[in-house]
Amino acid sequence: MNREQTNENMLAVRNLKVVFPMAHGVIRAVEGVDLDIKKGESVALVGESGCGKSVTSKSLMKLLDTPPALMRVDDITLDGESLKDYSEKKMQDIRGRHMSMIFQDAMTSLNPVMTCGRQIDEMYMRHQGMDKKEARKHTIRALELVGVPEPKSRARNFPHELSGGMRQRVLLAMAFACMPKLIIADEPTTALDVTIQAQVLDVLRDMQRTHGVSLLLITHDLSVVSNIAETVYVMYSGKIVEKAPMKELFRTPYHPYSEGLLKSVPKLSDEGKQFVQIPGSVPHPMKKPSGCYFHPRCPYATEECRQSMPPLEKRGEDRLVRCFHPLKHDAKEAKTA
Amino acid sequence: MKKSYIVKRILYSVFIFFVVLTLNFFIPRIGVDDPAERYYPPQGNMSDAEYEIIKELTREQYGFDVSTPRQYLNYLSDLFLEGNMGTSFRSGSPAVTDLIIDRLPWTLVLSVSTLLLGLIVGILIGVVAAMKRGRWQDTMLLNASTIMVALPAFFIALVFSFFLGFEAELFPAYTNPDMVSDFSWSLDSLRMVAYNAALPVISMAFGSIIGYAQGTRNAVIAVTGEDFILTARSKGLKPNAIRYKHTLRNAMLPIVTSLGMSISGLIGGQVVIEQIFNWHGMGTLFLEANNTNDYPLMMGIMLLLSAFTIVAILVTDLIYVLLDPRVTVGEKR
Amino acid sequence: MTDKKLPIQQRMLTFLKKRAIGTGRFFKRIWAHPKGKIGLTVVSLLVIVAVFAPWIAPYDPYDVADRTTKGLTPSLQHPLGTTINTGVDIFSMLIYGTRISLIVGVTAGVCIAFVGAILGVMAGYIGGFADNLIMRTVDVLLVIPSLPLVIVLTNVLGRDYWIIIFIFVALGWGGLSRNIRSLVLVIKNSNYVKAAELAGASRWRIMTKHILPGTSHLLIMSTALGSAGIMVAEAGLSFLGLGDPTRISWGRMLAEAQGGGALLFGHWWWIIAPGIGIFLAVFSFMRIGIVMEEVLNPRMKQSTGIHKIFKTLSGDYINEVFDSMEETEQPTTSERSAAKA
Repeated sequence: MNREQTNENMLAVRNLKVVFPMAHGVIRAVEGVDLDIKKGESVALVGESGCGKSVTSKSLMKLLDTPPALMRVDDITLDGESLKDYSEKKMQDIRGRHMSMIFQDAMTSLNPVMTCGRQIDEMYMRHQGMDKKEARKHTIRALELVGVPEPKSRARNFPHELSGGMRQRVLLAMAFACMPKLIIADEPTTALDVTIQAQVLDVLRDMQRTHGVSLLLITHDLSVVSNIAETVYVMYSGKIVEKAPMKELFRTPYHPYSEGLLKSVPKLSDEGKQFVQIPGSVPHPMKKPSGCYFHPRCPYATEECRQSMPPLEKRGEDRLVRCFHPLKHDAKEAKTA
Repeated sequence: MKKSYIVKRILYSVFIFFVVLTLNFFIPRIGVDDPAERYYPPQGNMSDAEYEIIKELTREQYGFDVSTPRQYLNYLSDLFLEGNMGTSFRSGSPAVTDLIIDRLPWTLVLSVSTLLLGLIVGILIGVVAAMKRGRWQDTMLLNASTIMVALPAFFIALVFSFFLGFEAELFPAYTNPDMVSDFSWSLDSLRMVAYNAALPVISMAFGSIIGYAQGTRNAVIAVTGEDFILTARSKGLKPNAIRYKHTLRNAMLPIVTSLGMSISGLIGGQVVIEQIFNWHGMGTLFLEANNTNDYPLMMGIMLLLSAFTIVAILVTDLIYVLLDPRVTVGEKR
Repeated sequence: MTDKKLPIQQRMLTFLKKRAIGTGRFFKRIWAHPKGKIGLTVVSLLVIVAVFAPWIAPYDPYDVADRTTKGLTPSLQHPLGTTINTGVDIFSMLIYGTRISLIVGVTAGVCIAFVGAILGVMAGYIGGFADNLIMRTVDVLLVIPSLPLVIVLTNVLGRDYWIIIFIFVALGWGGLSRNIRSLVLVIKNSNYVKAAELAGASRWRIMTKHILPGTSHLLIMSTALGSAGIMVAEAGLSFLGLGDPTRISWGRMLAEAQGGGALLFGHWWWIIAPGIGIFLAVFSFMRIGIVMEEVLNPRMKQSTGIHKIFKTLSGDYINEVFDSMEETEQPTTSERSAAKA
């Protein structure tokens, strides 16, 4: 709201709100989120489960169903094109072509009764008007690019016949098939083993960098963030609480929640140190506390925090924080950390 | 892997058939020392000596004069080597096989058209209801199904036969016997069969239409909530492509399973419907046999109906295997 | 219950036992549901009618002396007329018909639940040979068309109504025990059963105290749905003239109507009346079963609920919700620091 929208932005979202009316009240999943992603940039949206990050990602592609969801937004622009008033039909041409998505669990995100190749073929057939044969050629190339060995025969396999890592690569190949402007990856590696996780992340990062695609990475896992993202948005209970370049956030988090998240990541250098957890849990989206949503869990909370919601304010170059009492870091500490 | 599953499945069906066959052999022997007593129960005005003679004759005629295991083997060899299911009690002692073969096509006409009508219309309605979820089309299906499941098919048949047959005279309330006696493969003849079959088929299909519609609706809605449908939407596929290539293909799986399960009930229920419309099928033949205690005929029909069900379930299982690449050995069932 | 000195497994067991046995409030839950209310009301009405049939029915349909002119049309004396062939009051037959339908349906339904539960739990919990034997029997039962088999068995065993009940039970437990078995397989691997095993509970105790209560929801649901199914089957059997020949049942009334010329003479009420009887009985039992299913499977209920909520949502309310999330003019940093100072 308070920032200029520059034309180097690939994606700009202004004041996104999503609610779910229920029998016993309204779930406020997303409460006025702004996002900016530059061309070729990779941005992470971080938060615990239930903070509204997945809902945000789906609503960017207008994939939420009404009912049950109701969405309102001041503006969504993709590469200067405003999607706000696009009809479902027009969105269908955007999805997959200009904006595509990688989901968390490749096992359930792939159609179990269709071969993997066929599911990627569909992208080329739909968006580039290819016939089956031509599409398959491209599919095989796409699978090769994401590091699937023997792509020709893998394409003929059904999802259940592949390993978890291979399945996730199929999803990557699918998302990159038409070289979209923006890829939204919703917890792309959470369902995988740690070693496979790293491999898939490498592929994702390489693909994103070499093809200059913008990436929005949704995750709860800060180690994933440090691998890929350049800018990080921290989300808590439907609101952005902090935005910062990745390195700065890791060095000098301003919001107590960001600090808590960082502390709860075990590091090799931490040997012997206490492993810290944020006490409590994300508030129920129907019963959010008054004032700052984080105050019941915040060690620094004051009366002011209990009373009113702090605004999201600029603090330093390219950084935003939503806190009355942002953490202070002296220069020395910032350097050594 | 798939092949061995199919082979196993077929062998298992054969095993089940043998169990049914054995049951079939023993049912008339329940509760009596001598099957002849079952076949020819003692009559009130008969002296013991007379009855002994009659039993002796019955034993000889139906091969009960050997030991029970021997009888069982004879039963099997007759059935498999000669296709002989025994001799009916009817005058002239016709072979059960011949009696059944005479009725078989007429029964199949009803069953197959009911099944097709029920499936096609039911699936169509179900898909529409799922698409219009929560709107009046869906609510109507829900209300119709709550009422229909409580109405037995034979009652619907009676009501149809009364209102559409007797009162409105749209369709014959009883089957015209000429349909069978004058049958030839001419257009007129086929039209007559369709005309006579209309009420029985509609009254049987009524319930199954609603049943399949409700099942399809639930399956489609369940699949619509799956992650891969979201993936398909995120790919920008057109709604029709998603519906036919992704949703329906997956929603067919539970429908195929329930189809196999429902066939046994459909075949059994047809007995009553055939009776109401006096249809020249196996159902009426079965009831006639029951009324005359014609055990060879009854058990022959039972065996055939069971064989039909076994084959139908086997076929639906194999269709399932074709539709779902995930099925491997032992995964289903 | 909160005795901290008990070992943890023991405490867990008492807790779970309490929860599992908390099914006593079942009727309350069914009653709380609008569909369940209809079902329970109609079922209780039918029970009252069945029990007090001799007082409710104006004539005794079993009494040969209590017959009048044949083929009367409905009037005050005979609300549904009399039969064309025998001159029996149809309304009284309808009242008495409730008895056989309910007795056969409920008795068979309960017995099936009993047999199905025992065999299902045995198959699921003991496994091995017992499992194989029981499940193969189920496969056989499910492929033999049931109505013809019932007919053959009544021919062999007799047509007394308790024999008919026995046959229905003997043939009807297959589907239920298969469902129970798969549920038991889930429960068997759950942590609380494992805890009970660790605590040294005997197999028998685990089966009766832990596994069986876990299936109680499914059992009550199947009893209701099963009873409804048996009522349809019984009506079909008597309609074919193969039910208990000494009892008046709705199916037999339909058969008499068809055979006695109701169709020819246009006495449609003679056909509709027993049909409505069957419908009400089957419908009400199914309602109860379906409500049970919804209680078991709340996801089904919620999905239709959301559409209802959306229909009643007012635009104003939604605007209010969205506006409440708007970040109103924030005090700027300088203002705040001023306030602080």
